[in-house]
Amino acid sequence: MRTIACMEDLEKLAEQKRKENRGYSRTVTLCAGTGCCASGCLSVIKALREELERLKLKEKIKIRATGCHGFCEQGPLMVIEPGNIFYCRIKPEDIPEIVAETLQKDRLIERLMYTDPSSGRKIACEAEIPFYKAQDRTVLGQNKLVDPCAVGDYIANGGYSALVKVLTSMKPEEVIDEIKRSGLRGRGGGGFPAGRQWEYCRQAEGEPKYVICNADEGDPGAYMDRSVLEGNPHVVIEGMLIGAFAIGAKHGFIYVRNEYPLAVEHSKIAVEQAGKLGLLGTNILGTDFSFDIKIARGGGAFVCGESTALMASLEGMVGEPRPKDIHTTDKGFKDLPTNLNNVETWANVPFIINKGSSWFASKGTSGSKGTKIFALTGQIRNTGLVEISMGTTLREIIYDIGGGSATGKKIKAVQTGGPSGGCLPEELFDLPVDFEALAEAGSMVGSGGMVVMDEDTCMVDVARYFLEFLLDESCGKCVPCRIGLSRMLEIIKDITEGRGTEEKLELLKDTAETVSVASLCALGKTAPNPVLSTIKYFRSEYEAHIKKKQCPAGVCRELIHYSIDRDKCTGCGVCLTACPHEAITGEKGKVHRIEDDKCRKCGICGEACKFGAIKLS
Amino acid sequence: MSEYVTLTINGAKVRAPRGTSVLDAALDYGICIPHLCHMQGVIPTGVCRLCIVEVIEKGRSKVTTSCTLEAEEGMVILAHTDKILKARKNIAEMLVAEAPNSRAIQDIALKCGVKDVRYPFRNKDCVLCGRCVRACTEIWRSRSLGFVGRGEQRHVALPFDERPEFCKRCNACIDLCPMTITPCDGPMKKGEEYFCGKCESQLSMSEDFVDSCVWCRLGEGFDVTGRHAGRKQEDKR
Amino acid sequence: MTTADAKRVDTILKGREGASGELIEALQDIQDAFKYLPEEALRSVSEKMAVPLIEVFRVANYYKAFTLQPRGRHLLTVCMGTACHVRGAPRFLDEVLGQLDIKPGETTEDGDFTVETVNCLGACALGPVVVLDGKYHDHMTAGKLRALIQGTLSKKAKKTGDR
Repeated sequence: MRTIACMEDLEKLAEQKRKENRGYSRTVTLCAGTGCCASGCLSVIKALREELERLKLKEKIKIRATGCHGFCEQGPLMVIEPGNIFYCRIKPEDIPEIVAETLQKDRLIERLMYTDPSSGRKIACEAEIPFYKAQDRTVLGQNKLVDPCAVGDYIANGGYSALVKVLTSMKPEEVIDEIKRSGLRGRGGGGFPAGRQWEYCRQAEGEPKYVICNADEGDPGAYMDRSVLEGNPHVVIEGMLIGAFAIGAKHGFIYVRNEYPLAVEHSKIAVEQAGKLGLLGTNILGTDFSFDIKIARGGGAFVCGESTALMASLEGMVGEPRPKDIHTTDKGFKDLPTNLNNVETWANVPFIINKGSSWFASKGTSGSKGTKIFALTGQIRNTGLVEISMGTTLREIIYDIGGGSATGKKIKAVQTGGPSGGCLPEELFDLPVDFEALAEAGSMVGSGGMVVMDEDTCMVDVARYFLEFLLDESCGKCVPCRIGLSRMLEIIKDITEGRGTEEKLELLKDTAETVSVASLCALGKTAPNPVLSTIKYFRSEYEAHIKKKQCPAGVCRELIHYSIDRDKCTGCGVCLTACPHEAITGEKGKVHRIEDDKCRKCGICGEACKFGAIKLS
Repeated sequence: MSEYVTLTINGAKVRAPRGTSVLDAALDYGICIPHLCHMQGVIPTGVCRLCIVEVIEKGRSKVTTSCTLEAEEGMVILAHTDKILKARKNIAEMLVAEAPNSRAIQDIALKCGVKDVRYPFRNKDCVLCGRCVRACTEIWRSRSLGFVGRGEQRHVALPFDERPEFCKRCNACIDLCPMTITPCDGPMKKGEEYFCGKCESQLSMSEDFVDSCVWCRLGEGFDVTGRHAGRKQEDKR
Repeated sequence: MTTADAKRVDTILKGREGASGELIEALQDIQDAFKYLPEEALRSVSEKMAVPLIEVFRVANYYKAFTLQPRGRHLLTVCMGTACHVRGAPRFLDEVLGQLDIKPGETTEDGDFTVETVNCLGACALGPVVVLDGKYHDHMTAGKLRALIQGTLSKKAKKTGDR
């Protein structure tokens, strides 16, 4: 491959790739993100390859295995272009039919089409599916257009043109001004204005300067950064290149979570490809701008998402945060000026340069601009990644895009912002997604996790879950975070196990306040959010646990009780054999009973019973 | 540039050499800000969080530890606001509940106004202040000790839990430990723990220390020399 | 550690002499090669990369990616992400731990199973998810997981029986 030296070279390469693509009569795009891989897309792709080989259609039909399309619930997914035909939950056995019918005869296969659960209607077109229709997929939409391992795909879709524009016609200060005007704020959780941060770093003294892409996405229930890096690594690299040029940085790192093997692999390939094209390295595009990127695998510590901890980890040390009395833009990695943004922030940069800051600023609210990707998970019908304009309400996301509850039970809360975010009740679902609005309500936008909870979720248990998580992930360095969180967990455990008192609840609130005021880093400062927000909005549940010693949702083990409904039990004995703790007794044909002292409340009997005779109270 | 800076702490104009931390500036002036992990001659880490203060910048207040904050010209510091006092008292309460038998920590708790402890006592022999680790690493450059693990599992340990041959046996780790100050009358029995509040000595960490506690297990955590094990047996006799 | 093992460590450390910044990368490579971090390997890392032994020990203990004990023949990873949690992951985690009589991160006495928890695998649509020896199993329940473990164990019994 020749290196790219100017805009014309890039255009030529893009045109050449587009021409290649026009040679195919059909393109079959298959999602090969982690979610779809787990539901078996690789065997589907293999079957399709073999079938096309067998029918000698390889030259006519292009297979493109791409990154995540977002609609993980329906995986494995396929989109056939032209036609925008969407097939879901495909099995390898379906492939011969798809090739024979749809690809060769243009006939649709109804069985594989998406069924709109609210109307029962079959939908053939991807763009018509409600899940996609209500979104604004600026960044994520690119995923299905490119094979993450083929830089040509990215370039054919206009990739790296923003970089060329910046290097050939803009001054660093102009780039920073453009980003400032766009109103782009960090998508990693802090929400700090990116343009201003770049400017601080540019003005800071010390050489060389560094830029870092934070892909250590440790939030449970959130995977948008992984999907972008895994599905479209070049957009992240291009964003980093533009940022590095604006800041005057010479070296870059992508710090990626080791639990994301595909993202590690794809970003490594992409860096190599960009290097071969001369887009990374010395004298990029013949200018005096030089920049390189190294991939660093994270060791698996949630706190390394915190900027100072991440930088310590990059230096090969234990990832513990340090006090931020001096900003990392002044003294970061190796005590040199460092600018850190997360994957999604970097991925937005090329779009802002190409389409202009006013285009970006036209989306969103007064304080929060552009689009944001959320991972919509939990008890929701359409689990997946959604990208929406800032300012969209929670209700629109949960009901219009997410399709409402998965189980048919009433949705009672949504948890946003990851472990340090808060739980918002149904009454607040009309809140817009906006940095300030969510923070005021006691939660946050965070990196973009959105976990939907229905009536089967106990909010005290949720608070306990996040506390356990955070205490485990705390570095343990400072007193409020280490001891404070462990005291909070102690109290919450007491509450969920029936030993709670009013005084303990007050102590819980006092401790939470101290932890948020006095902790060293952002992990500790925000750690009490799940507890404080659940006390604020779901106090009645706490009171039920404390006063009545009951868990209304039937989750807290010490407060629940399994028994057998005499009217429904047929004495079939299935539960008796299924119970791993020999807690069920009874004769064949007669009503069985559960011995409380042996029952460990695992719920296996309930799963096994075909008659719904296992009662939970 | 002048070699001194002038800042305001609790309304008082305080002059301090450039490069001094706000905590040292306050202590030199006579403003008492409680602290535990702070030591002269080592890099401040700000982990005990007792010395938190409010810094007022452009009308906005930010909470940070005064030991890690370098004094700057014109800086405005509030060390004893209600918000700070409340959080500090709660931190001291947590510390004393972790290690109720340490006289150093009892003193700190009293200074912070802790009268009763609402948390169950844990009777630990270490509060992870890091004085030993930093003395070993920074003053003696021995690097025999370190913090291992994270979250609740974090503890002070030797590499592979054996004393390395490069340990200088200087004993600084034990001498600087806030647990090695003789506490009250003896170990508390399980279930009978209480906060006696008897100690009223004005403790300063630079004073000569009495030896590690002979009554309870406190201070044994870093017994790398075997010296104390022997002594304990003597006492039993 | 055998001489062959020591050589493997040397190969991994080649080119990293004195490069303390690469400590984590080096340990990751050792972990990949040995499936755990042997003590002697860590000692030679400290020596060759000029990192104090306590720092190496700290890093090895700090990050989830590293284990200081060899793992079992089968590795069961249970996702404890929020989405899996609200769909009931803790209930079957307790169950499997009770069945195998171990804690998360531990290995059974016979060396058959290691159970680990992970914060999120990002496969939330399939939750609750467990990964057994690299293969994803979706929509887990206590009963299904029990069957899965027993199935794996009986396969082993059968193999030894055949021999």
